Amino acid sequence: MTRYAMAVDLNRCQGCRACVEACKIENNTPNAVFWMHVFRLEEGEFPNTKMTFLPRPCQHCNNAPCVKVCPVGARYKREDGLVLTDFDRCIGCRYCEVACPYGVNFFNWRNPEEAWGEYQIPFDDPDLASVTGGAVPPYKNPDHDLRHGPEQRLTSGSAHFKGVIEKCTFCVHRVEQGMLPACVDTCPVQALRFGDVEDEDSPISRFLRDKESFQLLEELGTDPSVVYVGGNPPSSHAREIERPLTGV
Amino acid sequence: MTVAHSRVNEPLPQGVGRLSRRWFLVVGLATAGTAIGVVGWLVEHEQGMVATGMRDVGTMGGATWGLYISMVVYFVGVSFAGITVAALIRLFNLEHLKGVARMAELLTVVALLLGALAIVIDLGQPLRGLVNLFRYARPQSPFFGTFSLVVSGYLFSSLVYLYLTSRPDAARLAAKPSKLRPLYRVWAAGYEDTPDQRARDRRVTFWLALAILPLLIVAHSSLGFVFGLQVGRPGWFGTLQAPAFVVLAGVSGIGHLIVLAALVRRVLHEEHRIGMEAFTWLGRFLMLLLFVYLYFVVVEIFTAIYQPTVNEQRIGDALLTGEYAPVFWGSVAALALPAVGLAWMAVTRRWRIGWMVAFGALVNLGAIGKRFLIVAPSQTHGQLLPYPVGTYTPSLVEYAVVLGLFSLGALLIAGFMKLFPIVEMEEATP
Repeated sequence: MTRYAMAVDLNRCQGCRACVEACKIENNTPNAVFWMHVFRLEEGEFPNTKMTFLPRPCQHCNNAPCVKVCPVGARYKREDGLVLTDFDRCIGCRYCEVACPYGVNFFNWRNPEEAWGEYQIPFDDPDLASVTGGAVPPYKNPDHDLRHGPEQRLTSGSAHFKGVIEKCTFCVHRVEQGMLPACVDTCPVQALRFGDVEDEDSPISRFLRDKESFQLLEELGTDPSVVYVGGNPPSSHAREIERPLTGV
Repeated sequence: MTVAHSRVNEPLPQGVGRLSRRWFLVVGLATAGTAIGVVGWLVEHEQGMVATGMRDVGTMGGATWGLYISMVVYFVGVSFAGITVAALIRLFNLEHLKGVARMAELLTVVALLLGALAIVIDLGQPLRGLVNLFRYARPQSPFFGTFSLVVSGYLFSSLVYLYLTSRPDAARLAAKPSKLRPLYRVWAAGYEDTPDQRARDRRVTFWLALAILPLLIVAHSSLGFVFGLQVGRPGWFGTLQAPAFVVLAGVSGIGHLIVLAALVRRVLHEEHRIGMEAFTWLGRFLMLLLFVYLYFVVVEIFTAIYQPTVNEQRIGDALLTGEYAPVFWGSVAALALPAVGLAWMAVTRRWRIGWMVAFGALVNLGAIGKRFLIVAPSQTHGQLLPYPVGTYTPSLVEYAVVLGLFSLGALLIAGFMKLFPIVEMEEATP
């Protein structure tokens, strides 16, 4: 059996947010939506302050509250550990979003064609069209329209439908082709690792072996598939230095 | 106004079938309100739910459940009154309450319809919801209780109950010539109020009432479980949610029933059918429920301030002294004042219908406030990861839709009153 998991090395993360950018480009997530988010946290009082970084993808919990509460089984857990959303089935009640303690779910508030806001570049200009071949961004990975997994459900990519919930998929469309999730592939300092933890010899298993690790909000019993090493859970005094980004 | 007069021997009771100027005024206003709601919903449907004030929790700093879910909880709560009162009347033979029985059942049906509608309005994909909620129903989700128990089972059994208890009147009305006679013939469906039929109907309604009471507790509790079982939301997770939902449901429902009963009594001059005893009973029941609920509130506040965890404290501060304090204390006052007022009337035994109507309206405002406070703060202030604190302000579209829901309810009740006597007719003594 395969069981995918992600390891986050907090000693290495420098808060560059290349993973955030990679995720947005790979999955074409709408404005103000961050399937991958990196907390930049400040702790303590001046002058004794400390900055820490905490990447937060979907935790793909093994006891996922979102899967439990979904009234139609659109949110489901795959055998290989991925927690995915069936975009064809979701009715948009957003129960998964309120049940999730990690805040990783994002709703399609707008119609898909408006989801990315307005582009200032005149893409229908003939000169420009001769270069772009008539394509208008966001350029979309065609694999997002494929069905994935043994269940063959529409689970990858974003903004398929208005009024449907979406979240990090661990890049299911890439993983099924033997590639790494976009965030992991992009990370310039290898702070993110991904692989099969059931396989004792996989790189992630070897990386995690004999290391102290923690999961986010372990006490809730959600048993996340994302494991953090080389740091501490965020303290309750940690302050996020960014304001909420509300302009969907 | 009363064109039908010349053609029928005797007018139908309680103004049924006769459309007065006052009725047109009420219906006109309600239709306008409903239209505003429909426009609001169409805007929301056209633009997507970006037209609402709701946003994602977490990085977006919003609340993804807002006024709509508060109204779902509120309307389902209002439905409590009707069927409880109706069932109690049937089970304990409370003769003096018979006058309010039918309007109570009607209130239940209308409130449940509005609750169901509010759920559908809140869905991002309403059409999918109507199919998938049944096609892929998962009993493991607390929402299953809300949809299948509340909206299907509860609504259906209430409709059956309303129908069964109205058949004797339909049979009586079908016996007389009138414009609406064909309707009453279909309504009575062969029922002629013979002693045999009456005995059978009484047996059926007795057992139905007995079955509905536990269903009612389960249904309202399941709505509390939607929130109370979520370990990841400080302010939600707790044993008290389910019982508090049941009790506050009773408060808003009985409050509504008092207002409706007073209105009907005034408009239809039914002073002898809806007597003071009915109001006294409803007032005492409301007082009891209010004190139980206020006790829950005190327990809640005490738990929130004695030794709270960091996350619970953030919610508690937001409620008691922070952003939500005006709504919180306003709601508590809207529940506490009527409790005191009703207690005063109970002690002095001087019941005033005017005051009771004011109290009934006030506790409903309080109930809406409390429902809102259950839904919103735990999302904006209840993040367990270090997200910044969020905000939620309902948009005009949401207010329009809520206005539409209330107006539709008024429209349904006003419409029913012109088709069928809303006060049970007196039994013909043979």
